[in-house]
Amino acid sequence: QRFRFCGDLDCPDWVLAEISTLAKISSVKLKLICAQVLRDLLGEAMEYEKILKLTSDAKLESGDVKATIAVLGFILSSAAKHNVDGESLSSELQQLGLPKEHACGLCRSYEEKQSSLQDRLRACSLRLSQLGSVGWRVDYTLSSSELQEVNEPLVHLSFQLRDGEHSGMVAVPMALSADKFRVLLA
Amino acid sequence: MLLVLSEEQKAHLGCLPRAGGAAVGELGRLALELLRRGAAPRACEAAARKLNVGVDTVQHGVEGLTYLLTESSKLMISEADFQDSIHVLGFSDELNKLLLQLYLDNRKEVRSILGELTPKLPSYHNLEWRLDVQLASRSLRQQIKPAVTIKLHLNQHEDQTAQVLQTDPSTLLHLIQQLEQALGEMKTNHCRRIVRNMK
Repeated sequence: QRFRFCGDLDCPDWVLAEISTLAKISSVKLKLICAQVLRDLLGEAMEYEKILKLTSDAKLESGDVKATIAVLGFILSSAAKHNVDGESLSSELQQLGLPKEHACGLCRSYEEKQSSLQDRLRACSLRLSQLGSVGWRVDYTLSSSELQEVNEPLVHLSFQLRDGEHSGMVAVPMALSADKFRVLLA
Repeated sequence: MLLVLSEEQKAHLGCLPRAGGAAVGELGRLALELLRRGAAPRACEAAARKLNVGVDTVQHGVEGLTYLLTESSKLMISEADFQDSIHVLGFSDELNKLLLQLYLDNRKEVRSILGELTPKLPSYHNLEWRLDVQLASRSLRQQIKPAVTIKLHLNQHEDQTAQVLQTDPSTLLHLIQQLEQALGEMKTNHCRRIVRNMK
């Protein structure tokens, strides 16, 4: 069976298996755990101790806690990736066996943060390099050892690139004569 | 298959009968720690003081035991072969029994440590992809040219490298088809026969 939040593909087996673990936690606590997982997906720090406290009532082992965080992370980021609205996500999760209150609570948290999640995913998309800033300077050469009267302008450009792999700025300097610069601008 | 011990190793292990049964247990524990974590000179010094022998003797004894354990675990030799191999050292029966017990108890763990020492190729860590469509360039306006950009993150000896690749969708489909054919080889009779025999 195909699900929209899985990109119109079958739901992965491990997600199906962990839905029953999610059902063990109360729906109120699940909404709070969702909020923590959303914080992690948005790049802020996740408070793992709070999640441990919330899951202690359901008597989950440490492996189950990590599985819960993983499956919630998958559901929320995958739904944002495929631009699924809250209601469709809720009905699809109920089809997978998640109880109604749990699904509704999860989807309400998802709807609140859907656009910020999508903005964050857009920013994380593959990007090879990014232009940080451009610095320029125009010099005027008066004379040189070759020719006494040169009187030519010279443009210096420096592109600051943010390289994706080695996070840090790389400077690419270049010098252009006036004609070359005009060709570049044309 | 019998283990062949060189003269030097026989001399190293020669200190064991003098040290006594409890000492052999202690040295065996040190030998396992050496395999798990690497050399621990302080532990050897502490053991030497406790057993009232020189630090060198303890060190040689531990190294000899380590060699004995790794070689016997590597070759997975049977109990009878192990006993025959150490018989040549001329130890008492009790000491032989202790060494055999040390080998059998720790065989699995030593094999798993040895298994991690094989050279590794770079392994898959993460794959990021992006689908772009080129609409125009300086030389030609009004085009439609799709391209898939892939960044392959690889792990080798705790080093992370990234490889950037770019291809058009038809080459990517061909690649996928070739990889699926490679996976499909597992289902042929030839591969099935070998996998069945390996189990």
